[in-house]
Amino acid sequence: MKKEQNVTINEFYLCKTARYSLTQRNHDDITNMQTLLQELPVGRSALLAAVPLLYLLAALWSWPGAVNARWRLARLCAAAAVGAGVVSFIWLLAGGAGLVRGPVLLTLGNFGALHLSLRSDALGALMLLLVSFIGWVIVGYSQPYLSGERGQPRYIRGLMLTLAAVSLLVLSNNLLLLVLAWTGTSLALHGLLTFFHTRPQALVAAHKKFIASRVADVCLLAAVVLMGQQLGTLEIDQAIAAAKALPAMTGPLQAAALLLALSALLKCAQLPVHGWLIQVMEAPTPVSALLHAGVVNLGGVLLIRLGSLVGDVPAAQALLVVVGSITAVVAALVMMTRISIKVSLAWSTCAQMGFMMMQCGLGLYDLALLHLVAHSLYKAYAFLGAGCAVEQNRLQQMTPAAQPVSAGRWLLGAVLGMGLVAAAALVWGFSPAKAPALWALGGIVSLALTPLLAGSVLKASFGWRLVGLAVAFAIALAYFGLHAVFGRWLGVSSVGAVPSMALVAWVLGCFALLFVVQGAVRARPQGALARGLYPWLFAGLYLDELFTRLTFRLWPARAPTTPGTLSKPAALANAHTSGDL
Amino acid sequence: MNTLAESLTPTLDTTATRLLPTLDVAIDAACARIAPTWPLDRFIAVNPYWGQLERPIAAAAAQLAGLSGSPMLMPRSWYKQRFEAGHIGRQHVQAAITAAGAQVSVDALVHGLSTEPAIPARLPLATDIVDAGRDLGHVMAWRDYITHHISQTCGAYFDQGQADWGPDHSGGLYPSWLRQSAHDFSPAMLMGYSGFTQRLATLPTEPMALIDTALRALRVPTEAHEAYFTALLMSINGWASWCAYQRWQARLAKGDDVQIVHLLAVRLAWELLLHESLMALGVADKLAVAWRTSEGVIQHAEAALQHDWLWQAALERSYQAPLCQGLMTAPAPAASLVVPAVQAVFCIDVRSEVYRRALEAASPAVQTLGFAGFFAMFVEYQPLGSEMVRPQLPGLLAPGLCVTDECDEHNGPGLGQVLAARRKKNLLWRQQWQAFRSGAGSSFSFVESCGLLYASKLLKQSFGAGGKATTVEQTGLPPQALGQLRPRLPTSGGPDLAARVNSAATALGAMGLTTDHARLVLMAGHGSTSANNPHAAGLDCGACGGQTGEVNARMLAQLLNDPAVRMGLHERGLRVPDSTCFIAGLHNTTTDEMQLFDTDLLPPSHAQDVATLTSWLQDAGQRARAERAASLGLATLAAMPDELYDAVKNRTTDWAQVRPEWGLADCAAFIVAPRSRSRHLNLAGRSFLHDYQWQRDPGFGVLELIMTAPMVVTNWINLQYHASTVDNARYGSGNKVLHNVVGGNVGVFEGNGGDLRIGLPMQSLHDGENFRHTPLRLSVFIQAPQAPIDAIIAKHTTVRHLLHHEWLTVFRLADNEGVWRYLPSGVWEAVARQ
Repeated sequence: MKKEQNVTINEFYLCKTARYSLTQRNHDDITNMQTLLQELPVGRSALLAAVPLLYLLAALWSWPGAVNARWRLARLCAAAAVGAGVVSFIWLLAGGAGLVRGPVLLTLGNFGALHLSLRSDALGALMLLLVSFIGWVIVGYSQPYLSGERGQPRYIRGLMLTLAAVSLLVLSNNLLLLVLAWTGTSLALHGLLTFFHTRPQALVAAHKKFIASRVADVCLLAAVVLMGQQLGTLEIDQAIAAAKALPAMTGPLQAAALLLALSALLKCAQLPVHGWLIQVMEAPTPVSALLHAGVVNLGGVLLIRLGSLVGDVPAAQALLVVVGSITAVVAALVMMTRISIKVSLAWSTCAQMGFMMMQCGLGLYDLALLHLVAHSLYKAYAFLGAGCAVEQNRLQQMTPAAQPVSAGRWLLGAVLGMGLVAAAALVWGFSPAKAPALWALGGIVSLALTPLLAGSVLKASFGWRLVGLAVAFAIALAYFGLHAVFGRWLGVSSVGAVPSMALVAWVLGCFALLFVVQGAVRARPQGALARGLYPWLFAGLYLDELFTRLTFRLWPARAPTTPGTLSKPAALANAHTSGDL
Repeated sequence: MNTLAESLTPTLDTTATRLLPTLDVAIDAACARIAPTWPLDRFIAVNPYWGQLERPIAAAAAQLAGLSGSPMLMPRSWYKQRFEAGHIGRQHVQAAITAAGAQVSVDALVHGLSTEPAIPARLPLATDIVDAGRDLGHVMAWRDYITHHISQTCGAYFDQGQADWGPDHSGGLYPSWLRQSAHDFSPAMLMGYSGFTQRLATLPTEPMALIDTALRALRVPTEAHEAYFTALLMSINGWASWCAYQRWQARLAKGDDVQIVHLLAVRLAWELLLHESLMALGVADKLAVAWRTSEGVIQHAEAALQHDWLWQAALERSYQAPLCQGLMTAPAPAASLVVPAVQAVFCIDVRSEVYRRALEAASPAVQTLGFAGFFAMFVEYQPLGSEMVRPQLPGLLAPGLCVTDECDEHNGPGLGQVLAARRKKNLLWRQQWQAFRSGAGSSFSFVESCGLLYASKLLKQSFGAGGKATTVEQTGLPPQALGQLRPRLPTSGGPDLAARVNSAATALGAMGLTTDHARLVLMAGHGSTSANNPHAAGLDCGACGGQTGEVNARMLAQLLNDPAVRMGLHERGLRVPDSTCFIAGLHNTTTDEMQLFDTDLLPPSHAQDVATLTSWLQDAGQRARAERAASLGLATLAAMPDELYDAVKNRTTDWAQVRPEWGLADCAAFIVAPRSRSRHLNLAGRSFLHDYQWQRDPGFGVLELIMTAPMVVTNWINLQYHASTVDNARYGSGNKVLHNVVGGNVGVFEGNGGDLRIGLPMQSLHDGENFRHTPLRLSVFIQAPQAPIDAIIAKHTTVRHLLHHEWLTVFRLADNEGVWRYLPSGVWEAVARQ
């Protein structure tokens, strides 16, 4: 697992450009150091800067005339951004990581400065590609989807501003710029979440998000201030190098790491501040898709980007692992009780983000990045295609009832799953002995494969059994293969302290519990466990009610100017939503 | 004084014994007011006012206004716009005034358009009384909270496959809700209701006992019980409609279902809980006062809306007048004496009218006919190797036979079983995979191992718009097998020859196809194609239970091509020439393409006929698409057939397309007459067309069938569009961009939650600028003698209610040029020729 033996892309280029051993340098040297990453050529720099600017152009260009012209511009810019993302990705492969220091916008004395500095590296380039691709899909989807809707110019502006802020965030090499981009993302998105500003529920959900985001902003800003104060720079590459050069993490830096973790947890809608994520179905479907695929996961980007800081602070790691795994388990169980497709998808996102946070806490940044990217693509598709739920239901009606599986078969399936997973790990050269965290992840994969192996394969004919085994093995192979690829790709960012065995055991325990509860509910839906747990999980453990009550005590939301038509007794006079499309 | 005295009088036991029998009646009557709603995969049109049929429409509208605040008419500003644009003429307003015998002048009516009617506020529920004392600008309304709470409970209780884990169902909805809420902290946490769970624990565990207890506490006067119950059910109208559907289906199967009473009990329990928690506010007193005057409020509402009904009538007259004139001037039917080359029977659906006109223009040798698209095949359908059985007939009827797919004998005897087994395996695999994908524990590993593949799916959807449209029914079968499967009546255990002959004779008789058969008779069902559309079934054939008409058309063609059946028909004196072949087709209403089925079974002698027909159909499709182009925003392509075809085709697979087609929007008339009567008219896709020749219907049994079945179905469709337009918040499903499918196929939420939404989405009615459906009550034109029509009206209560209570208007077409309007008083009034 550890990267020492692999020469990763980043390390390779790092070595090529900056040949000095960081550990030999002291704090003062590093603040005076010119650069760690190479300066990018003008063309590549322009390409990076072009992406946020393209989105900004589409957002701010007030086109006189038809809304279709605006859409055309938005689609053009979104497509051009994908192009820039692809070229810059290829250029990274060819030319190595690098950055453009950009102009200084604000000097902050000993703390460093607000540079408009952008970087092109493994994480940034991949995220840029992802964000621009999702952005392009969503812009293309939105135009026909919202046709006839009032406020389309407002929608286009909000969408393009959000994309501009997100792309700036993933490219930023400056901590303060990153904070600003993050706040900007949240504010731009707020406009989209309240697109239907006469819907009370939309306002309430957006309000809750607003509060959680501002708290996260404050945490992040505080972390950045501490880092600036301790390391004397706000440039991410320099700050990381400086921190690495320190003999030990100072107290303020440890606090900064905790604040970073907290900020990421808040932004990733972890329990108990997850409510807004679940309730933002009050915005058009593509906004949900954007939020779930491109925004909610930015906490992961933050942690992967600054991983080596957090990874050296056991308390921060423990916080991420504990909150992340509890969220993953609880949200996954709550998801089982959900009655509408979009809300079910939202709980699934909540759980997946928990899983990603947990991986970050375990120091598995490469898997976290894989999870982030793969989940974005999957969830964007799931949301945009949520109207197919009825078709899926028809297929379900057509499907014969599956025969129950005995406990013995389950056990056999689990053993088979473990065998397949172990074999797949060996094929890719993973050895759990070197990375104890893999025990946890490998265990989770084998448990996931168990129903696939126990259900149909062991009961079906010989041919189908082979197919089932092959599919399960292919999944395990893909899992570890992608792990290897992302590990190589991400390189240095994965350097973190080895998590304690206690955390690994905790994770395994959590997921074993999840599988046991899920299995028990499946096997005995009328059993005492299923009956007893159901009302609590159906209510989401009342966590959101707690949070809602708290926020409303501290900072109540404003009611819409025109309340929903059904809430007023004398509804007749204004019940005409006619033309209010 | 009176109020106080009454509220202080303790409830005596004697009232209880007196209360209960009338209570049952009131509950039944209130439940009967709620019309059913079908699940999304069988989304047929329903008249949401069906439970109000026994009242004149204006009185029903006043009831709805008083009990739920639901409007049944457009706002006056809308009529004003119509009047000022010249769509409604002064003469139509005058005619409406005269017909109603109203004492008002046209000028006074026009003057009144500038202010909206002063309708009294709807009668309050306990929730409203409590809400009235709260600052709704800063706290959630109890009404909204309770709606959401009940809706979530119902969603969990009635779930059809979305959730993996459901509540304890035992005892029904009400006990299930009690159990579910036993530890519910949310009323305390969100609404500040302290002691909620303690109070809940004291509630009776039987729904009827709860209703009884609540009524004693709430003091709603006995005579207002029914109205109060109706208002309660209408405050959660979506789920009430779903419960009404449960009851409807149970009663079709000769049983019953009481979940709607349970729902009423749950809603009433909330009233009681609010009343108990806030006794100091005097909820019961206020309720008693308000509901004592309920009759007055409703009468007041009716009076306030009088002029609005005149405008509605004037609007309808402005549509009827030119149509009456057009139908008066029918050309002589001499041309149709020649036996046509092809007879094509279409569904009565308004979308068929456009295509039929196009087909008639493509070739004068085609005669088109209209008949309910299930072709009198009273069947349900079970796709091969599948567990699903779905009705393929109107929702008013129960199916008699089950049809499934079979393979031809010459493909080998066991092929059907092989395919069925294969599909079963395939479906099971899909299910297994889905469980892996979205299972609570496995979804994490799924995302990491397979999530990246979704990039290609996103690319495919964004570029190719998903490729070729495939239907759910084709899932799990190899493509080459699709051509070999044909829906058939079961060979063993199915109806015997006599029954088959009977079905065939009934169908031909009802269609009026008893003589003069063409060489080729096309049975054209219809269906639609759209992607990612929860309401897709609403665009399919309503007469086939919200499915495509393929199964029914193929069944009938197969039946009529069977030599044994032909022989049987001949013995009954129904002679179909040996040279006549029946062929099944499916009209795709989204693309206006016609797909023909089982052409390989036709004798070689008819190959040329089929080829000719195919070219006519292609021509017709082109014409129909050109006609519809403008309404789809494709006017610039109207003159470019190939580009237009591609554009229309793309809409069918575009996952972001919210308006694949306009469905039955703007439907306004139903013409029951030979096609020759309307063939010269462009009915603009607004008219249902049913062929009927009374001369071939000696006992007027067919006419009776038409007036009791298709006429009711067209009324259901017409008023579904009407209600969704005038009150989309209650009878429509709101904005598609917020739709969130509930329970797998139960319905949709608009956004996060709230009530279950029924009816049509805004995007099916409105193009962003204007409504595409003009809310007009159906105008029915029947060409038949007066006496049998009168007899049918007298015989059938439903028909009488529809006519006398003005839910639709009937006109009689005489064989010559005369047109008579049926007045609600039962009098026929001649329509003047202009």
